[in-house]
Amino acid sequence: MKSMRKGITLTLITVLLILTACGNGNTASKTDNVTQDPNDPFGKYSDIITINIGKEVDSADKSLPSGDTPENNTYTRYVKEKLNIETKIIWQAGVGKDYTQKVNLSIASDDLPDALVVTDTQLRQMVKSNQLADLTEAYEQYASPTLKSIIETTEGLAMKSVTFDGKMYALPNVTAESDMQHIMWIRKDWLEKLNLEVPRNIEDLEKVAKAFVEQDPDGNGKADTIGITGPQSGGLLNADFINPNNNNYGFDPVFGAYHSYPGFWLEGADGKPTYGSIEPETKEALAKLRDLYAKGLIDQEMSIRKDAQELIKNGTSGIYFGLWWAGGYGPLADAIKNNPEANWQAYSLLDSNGEFTPHMGTPSNQYLVVRKDYKYPEAAIKMENLLLRDESTFDVNVGIGNYPLRIVFAPMDEMYVTYNMMKEVMAGTKTAEELDIPGYKLLKADAENIKKVKLEPYDNMDIQYWDPNADNGAWKRMYSTMVGIAPLMEPYKKTYSLTYSQTKTMESKWATLDKMEKETFLKIIMGAAPLDTFDTFVEDWKKQGGDEILAEVAELAK
Amino acid sequence: MVNKGFAKHYYLMLLPGFIWLILFSIVPMFGIVMAFQDYNPGLGILHSEWVGLENFKYMFSLNDSGTILFNTVFIAILKIIGNLLIPLIFALLLNELRINYLKRWIQTIVYLPHFISWVILSGILLDVFGYTGPVNQMLSVFDVKPILFFGRADLFPALVVGSDVWKEFGFNTIIYLAALTSINPALYEAAAIDGASRLQRMKNITIPGIVSAIILLSVLSLGNVLNAGFEQIFNLYNPLVYSSGDIIDTWVYRTGLVNLQFSLATAMGLLKSVVSFLMITISYYLASRFANYRIF
Repeated sequence: MKSMRKGITLTLITVLLILTACGNGNTASKTDNVTQDPNDPFGKYSDIITINIGKEVDSADKSLPSGDTPENNTYTRYVKEKLNIETKIIWQAGVGKDYTQKVNLSIASDDLPDALVVTDTQLRQMVKSNQLADLTEAYEQYASPTLKSIIETTEGLAMKSVTFDGKMYALPNVTAESDMQHIMWIRKDWLEKLNLEVPRNIEDLEKVAKAFVEQDPDGNGKADTIGITGPQSGGLLNADFINPNNNNYGFDPVFGAYHSYPGFWLEGADGKPTYGSIEPETKEALAKLRDLYAKGLIDQEMSIRKDAQELIKNGTSGIYFGLWWAGGYGPLADAIKNNPEANWQAYSLLDSNGEFTPHMGTPSNQYLVVRKDYKYPEAAIKMENLLLRDESTFDVNVGIGNYPLRIVFAPMDEMYVTYNMMKEVMAGTKTAEELDIPGYKLLKADAENIKKVKLEPYDNMDIQYWDPNADNGAWKRMYSTMVGIAPLMEPYKKTYSLTYSQTKTMESKWATLDKMEKETFLKIIMGAAPLDTFDTFVEDWKKQGGDEILAEVAELAK
Repeated sequence: MVNKGFAKHYYLMLLPGFIWLILFSIVPMFGIVMAFQDYNPGLGILHSEWVGLENFKYMFSLNDSGTILFNTVFIAILKIIGNLLIPLIFALLLNELRINYLKRWIQTIVYLPHFISWVILSGILLDVFGYTGPVNQMLSVFDVKPILFFGRADLFPALVVGSDVWKEFGFNTIIYLAALTSINPALYEAAAIDGASRLQRMKNITIPGIVSAIILLSVLSLGNVLNAGFEQIFNLYNPLVYSSGDIIDTWVYRTGLVNLQFSLATAMGLLKSVVSFLMITISYYLASRFANYRIF
């Protein structure tokens, strides 16, 4: 009996030890007497301070030299040297879904790194849970003038998204406006081979897609080509107000051509707010997409396929919708490796009046937040100051994603300016030295690089007049810019959502409504449900919380 | 207590399992209270606001609840039946095979899929049943139009159950084969001398010989009745098949981890636990009643 009791005691002690060890999550910083210049955005701490971060890591990024890690590389050493800030990665997760999930877990268990980058939904949840440091003062004192000026270019939009009860709870990013409009990428070499014009509206698109499917544009004698690529498994049919930017492989341009803006809060005909997904234009656009799918012009395995990019890389598909950067930075580098003639060019898809009518997104979709009790909330801001000031001097061969806590800061017009200036550089009317403009951090480097990868004639953007092998990094950026931004240089009609963040009722009911919408739309397009399911959806949507949410949006929009 | 034959190291061997149980099964139980709270991570379980049955009320008001409950039970029951019957039949047939090396070969090959993870296997399945995959090419020989297998809500449960049974039947067969070796060969010889055919021998010797193994496996699987297989379905499904493929686990994942509605997800998870608990109790009662199987 005695020995048994001993055994049980031993077990209990062990268990208790393990439990207490687990409960001891956040270790406070030990150095207490660290000083710094009170108002210098680039001031160095007198002693090394540590910042624990959660990091998004891209497994495809092979750019780190051997020996370097996401935690210890040229960028982290730079931060340490310039600011005396040492970054420690307490966890890392794959880019995208994995990272979002890991952050969600951290929020749920209230076990947060000192600083990390989050989404709008996560930011709101963290503010609600009182997990974040108030950055108002730190921003006032330490944000560099350039950083502040970029945030000001959004005319209050960025600040509004991070201000709760008058306090600033995160540093919002600012993306270039061109990250918001979705355009059409198409194989121009296929068009030429089949003697077709560039499609500009839906009717043309249908004709071209039909030819791409039926007339064997890749010339291999097999009927194995796909017209239009669709979203992959888990992908979005259309961007929505929560994820308004960067929706590659969705159908945003098709919806836009019908003046349908599903997922967006719009001003209705009666002046009251309405939701794009329940409007008749959306039914019209869905009917067209359903028709295109039934005719076999859209990838028959859309939304089931694990990776939509594959179709573009292996030369199966001839059309996809996406962003300006979905050219060079997207699948095209591989597509061109596999087939050097794949001449992908970008165009806008026009409505029945010949106008380009895309939806717009929000300039801020990433937020840098600091844990509530972290001693040096300004450290995170200083790291962004440094990034913004020195990004153009970094060696681009090491992926910039390895910079700790990086969020994008670009003036709204950055890509338009870059496009115009590059034209001037190629024409010889501007030199790299003239383009050293504060804020436009990469412009000078771009000007130095463009002639390395662009061959003459400078006004022809077809793939044969480029040399991707000269400098792949530069080619990716320049091809994306010159080809992808071109359609956005034409005048067009912008449609914004009334709000890009969630209202109170959405916190509990949005998931259900959103699931219903995505399920219904996908079923309609893929022919698994009749088109008139749309009407039932509209009714159900209103009944199950939609009306309530619309009222809140109306309140918000006042 | 007489300590004769009692060795302390047995307790030591118990320790890892005991710790595991406490850490991963007992401690997380306290999380259940989240289902009755408006859980706020900043305040934690101790200070979050109590809302009583609010989450359960909302949960049952959703159209989804009935669907996912039905899907879970439906898929799980089909899987249990398939995973009991197919390996049994296969083991009986394999047992009749007289060429020993062939028998071992088959046995080895059929249990290999058990070791492939669903993440990889789902990719293979999506390709095999893809629009231009081998299955559709085979069908095209018979003039059948290509079928989008994983986009059809009516076919999804069958595909899920079928692929799961295919993956696991070889492995489950091993237990039956082990049970079969415990049957005294003398019984077969005696029966053969009495003139019993092979079928009669199977019916009167083999099956009664392994009936306790069959019952044990059925009882064990009943406890799993609401585990319809998160990993598998998560990797195979898409919005087109939510109506027949969304199960409690995938729903809880989406609600809790993707949409940050912790309390609602916990409530649904708790419902699953309650139903599972009932199922185990019932199956234990049945087992002790009909097969004299008792743990305590």
